[in-house]
Amino acid sequence: MEITLKTLIFYGFALMTIGSALAVVTVRNIVHAAFALMVTLFGVAGLYVFLQADFLAATQVIVYVGGILVLILFGVMMTSGRLQMRIHIERGQLLLGGGITIALLMLLLTVIANTPRWKNLSDDGTEFAPTTSRIGELILNEHFLLPFEIASVLLLVALIGAALISRKEVRD
Amino acid sequence: MVVLLISIILLAPLTAFAIHALLGLAKQGFPRQDILSTFAMLVAFICSILLFWQIAPDPKPHTIDWISLGSITFSMGFYLDSVTVIMLIVVTLVSSLVHIFSIGYMHGDPRYPRFFAFLSLFSFSMLFLVVSDNLLGIYIGWELVGLCSYLLIGFWFEKDSAADACKKAFLTTRVGDVGMFVGMMMLFTRFKTLSLYDGADAGIFTLVEGLSGTGDMIWLSIAGVLIFCGAVGKSAQVPLHTWLPDAMEGPTPVSALIHAATMVAAGVYLTARMFPILTTSSSLVIAYVGGITAIVAATIAIVRFDIKRVLAYSTVSQLGFMMLAIGVGSYVAGLFHLTTHAFFKALLFLGSGSVIHAFHAMHSHHDEEHSDDGEHDHGLIHEHGSEIPPDQDMRNMGGLRRKMPLTFITMLIATLSISGVPFIFSGFWSKDKILGGVLERAMEWNSIHHYILFVVALIAAGITAFYMFRLIFMTFFGVPQNQEMHEMAHESPWVMTVPLLVLAFLSIPVVNPLWFNKDYVKPPEQHHIHAPEHAQVLPDSKTRNSDFSFAFLGVSDAHAAEGEEDGHAADAHHAHSPAHSIAMILSIIVAGVGILLSWLFYHKRRFSAEAVSTAFRPVYNLFWNKYYFDEFYDGVLVALTVWKSRLFAQFDGSIVDGIVNGVGTVTRDVFAAFTGFFDNSVVDGLVNRIAEITWAAGGRIRRLQTGAIQTYLFVVVGGIVLIILIFRVL
Amino acid sequence: MTLQHYLVISAILFSLGIFAVLTRRNAISILMGIELILNSCNLNFVAFSRFVTPPENIDGQIIAIFGIVLAAAEAAVFLAIILAIYREFGSIRPDEVDTLKG
Repeated sequence: MEITLKTLIFYGFALMTIGSALAVVTVRNIVHAAFALMVTLFGVAGLYVFLQADFLAATQVIVYVGGILVLILFGVMMTSGRLQMRIHIERGQLLLGGGITIALLMLLLTVIANTPRWKNLSDDGTEFAPTTSRIGELILNEHFLLPFEIASVLLLVALIGAALISRKEVRD
Repeated sequence: MVVLLISIILLAPLTAFAIHALLGLAKQGFPRQDILSTFAMLVAFICSILLFWQIAPDPKPHTIDWISLGSITFSMGFYLDSVTVIMLIVVTLVSSLVHIFSIGYMHGDPRYPRFFAFLSLFSFSMLFLVVSDNLLGIYIGWELVGLCSYLLIGFWFEKDSAADACKKAFLTTRVGDVGMFVGMMMLFTRFKTLSLYDGADAGIFTLVEGLSGTGDMIWLSIAGVLIFCGAVGKSAQVPLHTWLPDAMEGPTPVSALIHAATMVAAGVYLTARMFPILTTSSSLVIAYVGGITAIVAATIAIVRFDIKRVLAYSTVSQLGFMMLAIGVGSYVAGLFHLTTHAFFKALLFLGSGSVIHAFHAMHSHHDEEHSDDGEHDHGLIHEHGSEIPPDQDMRNMGGLRRKMPLTFITMLIATLSISGVPFIFSGFWSKDKILGGVLERAMEWNSIHHYILFVVALIAAGITAFYMFRLIFMTFFGVPQNQEMHEMAHESPWVMTVPLLVLAFLSIPVVNPLWFNKDYVKPPEQHHIHAPEHAQVLPDSKTRNSDFSFAFLGVSDAHAAEGEEDGHAADAHHAHSPAHSIAMILSIIVAGVGILLSWLFYHKRRFSAEAVSTAFRPVYNLFWNKYYFDEFYDGVLVALTVWKSRLFAQFDGSIVDGIVNGVGTVTRDVFAAFTGFFDNSVVDGLVNRIAEITWAAGGRIRRLQTGAIQTYLFVVVGGIVLIILIFRVL
Repeated sequence: MTLQHYLVISAILFSLGIFAVLTRRNAISILMGIELILNSCNLNFVAFSRFVTPPENIDGQIIAIFGIVLAAAEAAVFLAIILAIYREFGSIRPDEVDTLKG
């Protein structure tokens, strides 16, 4: 495989994603972990771009970075009282978790490596086509209209539920 | 037509009773319900008269199926013969008159409608008994009559004596009923039917002809005597006669009804009905019981002072005569006496009721009669001299004939009749036939038994005349013994005197058109009466039996015999003619002697009754204490019963209870202990072990549930990895 | 770039998310791990949509959009629950919230 700029950028995004994810699970300061998560999410958005999913990449940045990450930071602030909240890890649990994780990773990699159908599938030579209008059509057409509506109701329910659960108990 | 008449006769009083009962249940009763019952009885009486003309031309047994109930063995049916019709007329007539009399006598009683309801039921029961064609129907009517007598004797149940008397009447007759039932069952097991006569060859009367041989005779005799036991109880024969005098505790119209038409007549009627199944020996038993009853009751009656008790013992005595007649085969004479006796005894009772009613004027009201009786306690059921109610005590009476002329005249007629004053009074004819029948049987069979019975009956007849005139003399003649009560006495109202006049009319056969039809009653044949071997003459029983008739008016026995066509008539005539002549002369003599003695004792006071009673103190005591029957029953039977009950109670208390308690103890101490042990150790142990194991296991397993979600996640993820690994490797 | 590149990245992200969920002692860190897992899944969807199905078929991307929607809803509810737990227990350490311990 020749090393082109595109390849380098891809690997750069890949390393950024994996490295920051490693940071998310390893750093002790939870605020640092949250920022590392932001980097990971950006990396995934970059990978979406490589997969020619432009709308999805934008959505990833807006929703995750702009919404969920802010939510997480708010959660950190409201529960810890101080931002330098240390993440405490036990050794035995770490070892056991690490063992299970590595076993899982090995398993997944083995599956990926040993599945013939997935081999030698390349995206070289495909033309980029903007997806936004197509996604809009699909969602508002019959194909995904029902899931779309269900998702909206789900969001409404989640909104009300979250408000109900998190508000202070009103005692009569 | 016949069925219609029978139905009306039966249903009229029953309907009256039902209406009374329904009104009573609805609490809508009104005093004039007496009209209903009386009207019903009069209707029944008229129907009986009509039935008389229906049956009269053909005085053979009519069996009428009333209701066919398919395969049911005891189909209801009516057995109508001349006797049935006569009984129907007697019952309905006397009952009607008693109803009318009661309107006056019971006036003002708080339970006035109930009284008439009971009277209607009583009449219905008796009528049902009379017309039934099978023993079961008779038995049903029989028990209904007993029930009604219980209700009516105890009508004034506030009085202890009345309550005791009705219980005594019920229980005493029950003793006889047991015998009767056993007798019925004996007949049933042998003949497989209780029907008396069903027109075919299946009735008891027909089947009984087929019996022969000594064993059958003994069996039949026992059955006959057992059925007669029922009659002994109902008709108050010795030794079950004690209830009847005590039954005087009931209202006087009830006494009249019981004594004349319904209760006691049932016994005689039953015995007469069972005439065809009587054997030589059972007949003799009946004759002896009747004879003994006649003399015993008559002697007791001599010394009574209570006017109703005298009449009661007189009834017992007369019933004895009837049984005696049936026992010696004088079927017609027995029923004839039953009929005549019904009228004059009803007359006597109603007359005594009239006298008592007159004396009641002092109290002015009936209910005081039973309220003031509470103060002297009747500990024993039977009477004592001191317990005679003052208005029934003949020693308080005397000289009433001017105060109550109608009552006096009618009662005198009845007394003349019962005493056997010749020729114009019905009692003479019927009693003479009985005496003649006994003597005839004695002469035919040359039987010492029947000679003895004849002498006994003759003496009883004389005593009857004596004590009846004693009653008349003490009550209506002489000087008033109790001036205060005498002043208050008065003649009864017309509703009470009219029945007296009617009954007096019926007691004088000269003016009595009821039985002109001679040979109306034909006795059924008896196949099992055999004269003893030493009998001199053996006349044809059919001839002998049939030549009595109710047509006594101006018809001598010789005339009656002339009605017989067959050649045996002459022999029979020779056989019985002297007997009847002798009997008639003797009965006139003893009646005359009895009346004369009574006149000398109680009117002229030529002799002192007290002196005689002192002279014969033991005999007097025997009579006064009624042969100690009640004492015997109290002292022996009641004491035996009590002793036996105590014994059984002890047996119950010690042995039965002991067994029960022992079983209980064993159960509790052994079985219960064992099962308790088993329960505690094995069952409970098992349950407890399981619970403990579960508990311990739970205690260990619960640690798996840490509550920490990450532990669960470890397991989940590790499990997934493991599963995938396993499936990849395998 | 082949499908396997993306799959490997996705597998690593997934494993790291699992590791965070298993080992972190802070509920919010666990939430971050869950977000990693969701991202890896979305990445897989998009990658398979890109390489396996025809180019004009972008159903995988739409599924990924729905996944993002779900993730947002999940995050909101999760944080609400964490807030409620914090008020109740004064802590959001999952090993301290063990009322259900047997």
